[in-house]
Amino acid sequence: MMKQVKIRKSDFHPVLRAFVYLMALVFTVLTLYPLLWLVISSLKTNTEFQINILGWPQNPTLNNYPTAWRLAKFDTLFLNSLFFTTVSTLVVIGLSLMAGFAFAKLRSKATPFLHGSFIMGILLTLQSIMVPLFLMSVTTGLYDTRLGVLIPYVGMGLPIGVYLCTEFIKSIPDSVVESARIDGASYFRIFASIVAPMAAPVAVTLAILNVSGVWNEFMLINILVSRDALRTLPVGIHKFSGALASDHGRQFAALTIGLVPMVVFYLLFRKQITKGVSAGAIKG
Amino acid sequence: MKRVIQWWTEERRAYLLLVLPAVAVYWAVMAFPTVFSFALSLTNYNGGPVFSNPNIKFVGFEHYLRMFRDQYFWISLKNNTLIILVSVFGQIPLGFLFAYVIHRKLVKFRGFFQTIIYLPCVISTIIVGRLWRSFFSPYGPFTEFMQKFQPGWENELFFDPKLAIVPVLFVILWMYTGTYMIIFLANLQKIDPALIEAARIDGATEWQVLTRIMLPSLSGVIVTASILAISGSLKSFDLLFAMTAGNPARRTSVLALYMYDTAFKHSPKYPLANAISVFMVMLSLVLILLVKLTEAKFGGRE
Amino acid sequence: MLKKSVFFVLVLLLAVSVIVPATLAEEPIKITVLNYFDLTSPGAERELNEVWYEFSVRNPHIIVEREDLFLDAFHQKTEAYAAADMLPDVIYMWPGGRSTSLHTLGLVKDLRPLLGEDAKYYKEAVLAPQAGGYLAQLPSTMTSSHALYVNVALLDSLGLSIPETYEELVAMVPVLKENGLDVILMGAQDDWVIQSCLFSMIVGRLVGDEKLNEILAGEAKFTDPEFVSALEFYAQMYEDGVLNRRIMQTDYAEVNGLFATGRAPFMIDGDWKVGNFLTDVTTGEALIPVDRQHEFKMTIFPAIPGEINKASSSGVVGVGFGMNAKIEAGSAKEAAAWELIKWLQGPEVQKMRLETAGTIPSRIDVTSDNIEPLVVERIRYYEDIAVTTEVLDNIFEGEVYTPINIGLQEIGLGFATPMEVAERTQEAFDAWFARKQQ
Repeated sequence: MMKQVKIRKSDFHPVLRAFVYLMALVFTVLTLYPLLWLVISSLKTNTEFQINILGWPQNPTLNNYPTAWRLAKFDTLFLNSLFFTTVSTLVVIGLSLMAGFAFAKLRSKATPFLHGSFIMGILLTLQSIMVPLFLMSVTTGLYDTRLGVLIPYVGMGLPIGVYLCTEFIKSIPDSVVESARIDGASYFRIFASIVAPMAAPVAVTLAILNVSGVWNEFMLINILVSRDALRTLPVGIHKFSGALASDHGRQFAALTIGLVPMVVFYLLFRKQITKGVSAGAIKG
Repeated sequence: MKRVIQWWTEERRAYLLLVLPAVAVYWAVMAFPTVFSFALSLTNYNGGPVFSNPNIKFVGFEHYLRMFRDQYFWISLKNNTLIILVSVFGQIPLGFLFAYVIHRKLVKFRGFFQTIIYLPCVISTIIVGRLWRSFFSPYGPFTEFMQKFQPGWENELFFDPKLAIVPVLFVILWMYTGTYMIIFLANLQKIDPALIEAARIDGATEWQVLTRIMLPSLSGVIVTASILAISGSLKSFDLLFAMTAGNPARRTSVLALYMYDTAFKHSPKYPLANAISVFMVMLSLVLILLVKLTEAKFGGRE
Repeated sequence: MLKKSVFFVLVLLLAVSVIVPATLAEEPIKITVLNYFDLTSPGAERELNEVWYEFSVRNPHIIVEREDLFLDAFHQKTEAYAAADMLPDVIYMWPGGRSTSLHTLGLVKDLRPLLGEDAKYYKEAVLAPQAGGYLAQLPSTMTSSHALYVNVALLDSLGLSIPETYEELVAMVPVLKENGLDVILMGAQDDWVIQSCLFSMIVGRLVGDEKLNEILAGEAKFTDPEFVSALEFYAQMYEDGVLNRRIMQTDYAEVNGLFATGRAPFMIDGDWKVGNFLTDVTTGEALIPVDRQHEFKMTIFPAIPGEINKASSSGVVGVGFGMNAKIEAGSAKEAAAWELIKWLQGPEVQKMRLETAGTIPSRIDVTSDNIEPLVVERIRYYEDIAVTTEVLDNIFEGEVYTPINIGLQEIGLGFATPMEVAERTQEAFDAWFARKQQ
């Protein structure tokens, strides 16, 4: 537990305090309103929704959920989303930490160039790489395979991953590494037993960024995959938004189904942040 | 002497092994396709097979010129600029404020607020976009609400070319502030409390603690946040697509939407789309360099 | 001893009886299909069963590998496939519009020779040449992209009747306003709606297909007085209070509920909108319940001053499936793919579509007793149309109709004048035309 210095209440100007509370209140309303609306809407039938978009349901029904689940084959989609999200996140964290360690603590003339190329990656958009990626995945025979989806997902998470990890590891004092070297440890040993455990905070940050990115990813999965057996949740959710019509009731049920894991994940990890950060706090 | 030589090659080897996997995947997935796209942006490709196509030839910077002459490009750019401003000067300070307030225990219900402020980031943009679309509809609650104050009030929000983007900016501000709050929170907790305690004992006010100790040590984080904000703003697509799709009449369009329009919505025009994306990357670079320069000037010590 | 050899012989016989027929039987042929599947369409579940499953039951030697996509994901995938020279064997296509490159680049076959004799089962208009100048896909339907939906009951309650001329419509505006009603509803937040459902009809009335074809050939211009007059009439509609800017903030789906609950007596949309008002099979609910459906009628926009085509509406053939041009002519694969296409536009499937979504069949031998009043009304409406003119986004390519789409919204919002829109469209056309000559 860290010690906190007591703040003199008079320090915190009442106007400022009121402002902060107000902003927080505004945020709360703005956040809960869409969520509430989402759940309420999922309880309406499509017809009722079109007549009454924003009000309470007259005849609430839970039918949308099982129907949506069945029609869009959510069980497969769910498992796939889980698979791709978890695996890609773990791999991104692993590779980013490795590269980050190398860039931060090992000397090499290649670092500015390589590190810089990752920074560029943060700026790239999905649109520009979609068609070439497709061509490549077809040529290498990875089209319509799990690996063919994983590799791009990992590749897209790496820029921000490498950047954050490099920054973080840079802040670990060189003395820590040097003294371990003097004790005869190999670089890998240093990485595995010293750096990695300390990296909990950045790992958690990366996990959050990556998970929310991959879980909601929609465009690439459609391009790289044909078989239903490989598809993920966003595809299923979008299926309810037709061209000239929409089945709103079911779409909202689908959206809720997709939302719940994300919320749960965040609630779980929220505690981890504080835990992980205090564990990683640097003693002076 | 022997030890030094040994050390050197081992370092080299470790470096390669640690870096290679990440570099290999990244270059294959992002770098190569980007170069390919850039090359494509210099051709007259217009759909159909890419490789065995006899009609493809290089046309130089024709598409770039076309882009700069298009008024919708400039409208999109203007909107992107507004979003960047809102992000960098809105989300980041606000995110920092919340992080600071929570970290320094200046408000109650910290856990709740932290969750609530971050939650928007995990909500799918489809939900958010659709809700606000319905909310601001001329037949929706916003109109009804306003009409209670002024009967016959017409919902003109989206019709004023200058104001159409405001609701969107508002929603963006709300949605992503949480990310920055989390980042700042994680880093605030890294600052040695003993330092702060010592300063307080010396009689420093909260404000002085903030400006002399905390902000400088966070300068690296602020740079990171700015980079994320800038690149995120320029790539911003999902939310706008769900809320307005760039309309009415493309007045709420942004570069990513503009690119999507040209590349996908109508006859395939990859070269033009790729030109736009190259421009976006260049712009990001310039802005990030600016940020780094600013940091160097007002710089931080760790 | 004997038992063993008997046993052995039996096994041999069994093996032979299985293997020989298997080799003599037809080799299963695999076909890949890219389908546009809308899980929200009323007939979705029926479609899965009665269309696809049924086909595999009737044709056990043809294995269909189907990929379902929709909206933009579909178009992006199509383009990706085309870029990789990997088009599926059978592909869902529009007669023009976003599938144009498939037509013009010759990536799909001409289906006319394959259709042969069967052509007599299809309405003639349906078999007209498409964007590439040939029949690339066999359309499942024809649609009128414009229809004026009328809530007759509402009009009656106000002492009004369906207007025959534009002037009559304008005269109604004050009455409607007094009663707190809108005049014409449209879900025009998406840019294609005004062009497709309203403006194409106006162009058909004031400009005519002949002139449009001249423009397409570069012999006339958008900036010529005819086309500009169409834009000016459209602008006039706002000034007369017939159209309200609100339509551009109305979501395409939102408008259904608004019209069904009597927010305005008129709605302009494509004739396909009928599907949204029908009974949802799974819930038994309908936006316009069957017993109220007779309160609504479909008709065309009243007579416009100066029109050269009277009582015309804009129409286009519907979507259908095409075949990859790279399949060898006369091969078993081609035969299999054609079987599938024939089935998909065959009488059974068209009847199902008619019943679930009110889709007008392109075949002449399809009827059903199981359809709702609004569907009957739609068919009557379509058959009563005297003249059908082109829809702009079918005859022109994206590069050219996009300025029109955006321009129409801009005119409505007062951001641009009709002449400016005409000029900008002409500019886009000139650029497209020049590139085509290369």
